[in-house]
Amino acid sequence: MTKSFFHLLSAAIAMAALLGTGCGPSNNSASGDGATQTAGGSGKKLMIALMPKSKGNAYFVSCKQGAERAAKELGVDLVFDGPTNPDPAKQNEIIENWITLGVDAIAAACENRDGISTALRKAQAKGIKVITYDSDAQPDARSFFVNQATPEGIGYTLMDEAGRLVGPSGEFAIITASLTAANMNEWQKHIEARRKEKFPNLKMVALRPCDDLKDKAQAEATTLLGAYPNLNLIMAICSPAVPGSAEAVKQAGKAGKVKVIGLGLPSENRRYVKDGVTDSVILWKTEDLGYLAVHAAKGLADGTLKPGAKSYQAGALGQFEIVGDHLLLGKPFIFNKDNIDQFNF
Amino acid sequence: MMNPALRRILVRHETLLVVVLILEVLFFATQGRNFLTPDNLTNIIRHSVEIGLLALVMMPIILTGGIDLSVGSLLGLCAVTFGKLWRDAGWGWEWAALGTVVVGFVAGGGNALLITALRLPPLIVTLGTYSLFRGLAEALTRGVDAFTGFPEGFLFLGTGQWLGLPAQAWLFGLVAVGIGLWVHNTTFGRSFRAIGFAPEGARYAGVPVERRLALAYVLAGVVAALASITYTARFGTAKADAGTGYELAAITAVVLGGTSIFGGVGSVGGTLLGVAAIAVLTNGLSRLPATMSSASELSGVFTGVLLLLALGAGILPKAIAALRDRRSSAQTPAQPVP
Repeated sequence: MTKSFFHLLSAAIAMAALLGTGCGPSNNSASGDGATQTAGGSGKKLMIALMPKSKGNAYFVSCKQGAERAAKELGVDLVFDGPTNPDPAKQNEIIENWITLGVDAIAAACENRDGISTALRKAQAKGIKVITYDSDAQPDARSFFVNQATPEGIGYTLMDEAGRLVGPSGEFAIITASLTAANMNEWQKHIEARRKEKFPNLKMVALRPCDDLKDKAQAEATTLLGAYPNLNLIMAICSPAVPGSAEAVKQAGKAGKVKVIGLGLPSENRRYVKDGVTDSVILWKTEDLGYLAVHAAKGLADGTLKPGAKSYQAGALGQFEIVGDHLLLGKPFIFNKDNIDQFNF
Repeated sequence: MMNPALRRILVRHETLLVVVLILEVLFFATQGRNFLTPDNLTNIIRHSVEIGLLALVMMPIILTGGIDLSVGSLLGLCAVTFGKLWRDAGWGWEWAALGTVVVGFVAGGGNALLITALRLPPLIVTLGTYSLFRGLAEALTRGVDAFTGFPEGFLFLGTGQWLGLPAQAWLFGLVAVGIGLWVHNTTFGRSFRAIGFAPEGARYAGVPVERRLALAYVLAGVVAALASITYTARFGTAKADAGTGYELAAITAVVLGGTSIFGGVGSVGGTLLGVAAIAVLTNGLSRLPATMSSASELSGVFTGVLLLLALGAGILPKAIAALRDRRSSAQTPAQPVP
């Protein structure tokens, strides 16, 4: 009968499609050797899972590059997965899948501190080693946090850079996200401490919030330029404020006269750095962050890194200090005209 | 109204989905790592309960030719309401859950009222409430507040096991059986099909179209509230962005399950198979060594491919049958009006 024929045909199409889609990627995947290795499920290779806050974010893509380098050097299988859309439960679902998949260690950048901790604790209960990087979970849900930058490191680097650019005396203003943000207040405390200690004649004349908006930062910077004609430098300590301030300085025709520095992503500021408006952008090397996260996760899994350790030797990157349960990535990195083209995040 | 040929096409679509599901399981069981383990089956069920619940109530709505885009946002609003009632108002979690269901009832009632009393298109009404409910959830928490630290008894609903199954699976089973019986075995539920084929026709046939439509949207609100409870219990946190995009995931499962987006055709069993096919695919992709690191993106791609193939395979025999009918008889059969 024709009817049953079509019935059969539709099923055959679906079957072919499914097998096709299922097999397709495994043939041309980059991790082809991993496929043959783990197919049996009894490979002795360690499997480390790395989770970004979101997968498309250039910042985490760059972390992943470092992570892949570490995985290659260490001879471990790396799984990199995270949410692609803003679904807060997705991180938990992926971790729960990793638990049953049987990974040896998880390194996670946490979007929702409390939410993800439930899943991470479950992983620990199953004997999986857990570390966090970039943004922490609750302390009991992981062994170590790979801390990319301490408030002291950020504050000192910003102030030292300001002092280097302006000289021993002058005026500078800070643009922050909000006057109540805890992390920024912490940075400011260290900026001020460093200023008192090393540049007592550099005056901070204003502190303005920009609500984490580039437009508002630009407006604030324009106001500052008018209100303080002797201003030498604008220090932007939230990422939208760096290009915002640079645009204001550029439009006021004060490029070079009023320096701009700040905490931000190289990609957002490349144009201004190359035009000579922004002098330095301060952040950490995200590749190193990914490298260290995977390296430390592997260290925990094979026992070379134990709770209570005071330092950790991470392959090509050398030795890292551990304070409490924070593994410190070290001093922030300064992106300027000479090196900014080497970074694409 | 329901001719046997059409019924056979329905059966055919479900058989197709069963075949797809079996193939998926076979494929991932042999190629994937630790796929057919009790823990992983638990994962698959837990992770698909909320979208499954929303799909179950979306199905009768789509069957009537309507749509409800607001269920994902309502899940977010209900999660936040639950958190507020429990933490800020100091209610016990059981009472807070009950209060949340009332909020879902009222929100669904709002949709129903606008759609039936004012005769506004469901697409427009629920597009409006899609923004409204999410906006309210964000306003209640100013976008940043998250509720956490719920008691163990409550978290059990999302993370515990009861009689060998994840706790929320029992709720899901109950809703599935209830809606299945309602849609297929009561005249009330069967009238959805008639409304979907031709609302005016149904009205002339004596079906109280407005009242029946209203109930479908109210039910969607109530079940979205239930989904917010299992979601919050599973995740341990209630935040305004809970359930973002879930309405589309639910619609995808319903349509993959063979329910016509124009209404009139569909089955609850098909919807369940649709939910299962997507859930197994998504989970399975995260266990193939080759796709482990791109499971999130690939599950979207393959769900799309699966949907198009299933629809294509469903339409092909129908189109050929129609062609043959036209050739064999001079009289063309009346086409259902979308």
